[in-house]
Amino acid sequence: MSDTRDRDKPSTGGVQHEEMTFQQAAEAHLDDVYGYLSWFTSDRFAAEDLTAVTFERALRLWHRFDPDRGSVRTWLCQVARTVALDHFRSERRRVRREELAAPPEAIDFRFAEGLSPDLESALARLTPGEREVVALRILLDLDAGAAARILGISPTNCTTRLNRALKKLEEALHVAA
Amino acid sequence: MSQRDLVAELRAAHVEAPPEVRERVRLIAADAPAPPRRITWRRALVVVVPVAAAIAATIVFTRPAKQHPSVLELNTPATIAPNVGASIDRAAKALTVPSPKGRVQTYDATLSLRVEHSRDVSDGVKQALRITTSLGGFSQSVHAETHGSSAVADLKLRIPRSRVQEAMAKLSQLGTITDENVSTVDQTALLNNTDREIARLQKQLAILRTEPQSPDSDRKIAALVKRIETLQRGEATTRRNAHFATVNLHLGTPLVTVVQKHKHGPLHGVGVALTWLGIGAVYALAIGTPVAVLLVLTWLGVRVVRRRRENALLEL
Repeated sequence: MSDTRDRDKPSTGGVQHEEMTFQQAAEAHLDDVYGYLSWFTSDRFAAEDLTAVTFERALRLWHRFDPDRGSVRTWLCQVARTVALDHFRSERRRVRREELAAPPEAIDFRFAEGLSPDLESALARLTPGEREVVALRILLDLDAGAAARILGISPTNCTTRLNRALKKLEEALHVAA
Repeated sequence: MSQRDLVAELRAAHVEAPPEVRERVRLIAADAPAPPRRITWRRALVVVVPVAAAIAATIVFTRPAKQHPSVLELNTPATIAPNVGASIDRAAKALTVPSPKGRVQTYDATLSLRVEHSRDVSDGVKQALRITTSLGGFSQSVHAETHGSSAVADLKLRIPRSRVQEAMAKLSQLGTITDENVSTVDQTALLNNTDREIARLQKQLAILRTEPQSPDSDRKIAALVKRIETLQRGEATTRRNAHFATVNLHLGTPLVTVVQKHKHGPLHGVGVALTWLGIGAVYALAIGTPVAVLLVLTWLGVRVVRRRRENALLEL
């Protein structure tokens, strides 16, 4: 856990960034970005597309990345979140249009390998905002500060949001049991 | 299931990107150009600070000094820095011009001495008069005046030519020599001419006296006599003047150097710049504060609206 959190600390004097090229950053954090987006969107296909879009955008913005302000992983998650929010906005408009014609199909989605079916369904019942904080804090194991920076909220607010999500999960699992 | 177990199960979950996504991202990353060397603010500071310091130092140290002391002279004919006095003192003895034997010369000397206190001026005047008298000379004029702590005295001394060197040596010991001037004019040739002229006139006079007397010859004889007497008087005056040398002695306390305190010190430019920066800051505050407040309020408003829309989007 400490190793993971050390990755999120800003590097001193940009040494880490100078040593890490974009290819290396993409290779190292691809799974993190994909996991975050798949939990956030709860849509495997959307997550795959958004991951590619995220890295395309990150490549364009790579020159603006400042290692003194945060780790590469945090920065990539911030880019991924912007991409995901754009996706949510366009998706909401699309769903509104399509709802008039036909109800949306239920997509069978697995969040991760090794999760119990009850937990999978409990996760599916969470809102995107709640799943997002669970993904950042638990799946990616970011500390409250880094997760809060990605979400654009305070660390306290982030912790509150996580506790609320976990409580909802716990309740859902209790009901399922 | 407790919340701890729940978190443990969630942590145990592993999400791996599908191979096709990995390949897509690899292709995207392959297009990444080599990272250019970025100019961070720290790197910029490493260059900018020494350059700015060098420029500032150059401006401060190469700026021409505007602090020129203006010298206020108190009736002193010449000024020489005190440390130069010693060298002039040594040169004083060389400046005394010896009198060649058998020549008639007029001798004029100017000697400026600096003394420490105003009382030394009056003492110096007394001693100078004593020296002059002891050498058989006399004072032609004495002028002394005092202004607070400063005093000056000007003496015109007449000293026998044969003893002027001794007089100059003694007078120069009354203070520190700050100026000295000696001039001699040889009058021998002039006197010889006058003698020849007198001899010629006397010869004419003797011829006229041998001729029979007439009103015309009497008038000529009177004119020649008058002319001879005038020349003889002038010759006597010249010889008398040459017998006494004229020494103009100036005694004075150190110069009152008034250093006008200019407002412009070496850091005056910095002060002016800071003043203008301050004025600019006041104007910027007066004009910029309302604008800044408006911008901040706008930014806060936009942020709140965006946050609310975002929360609605994420169903929070």
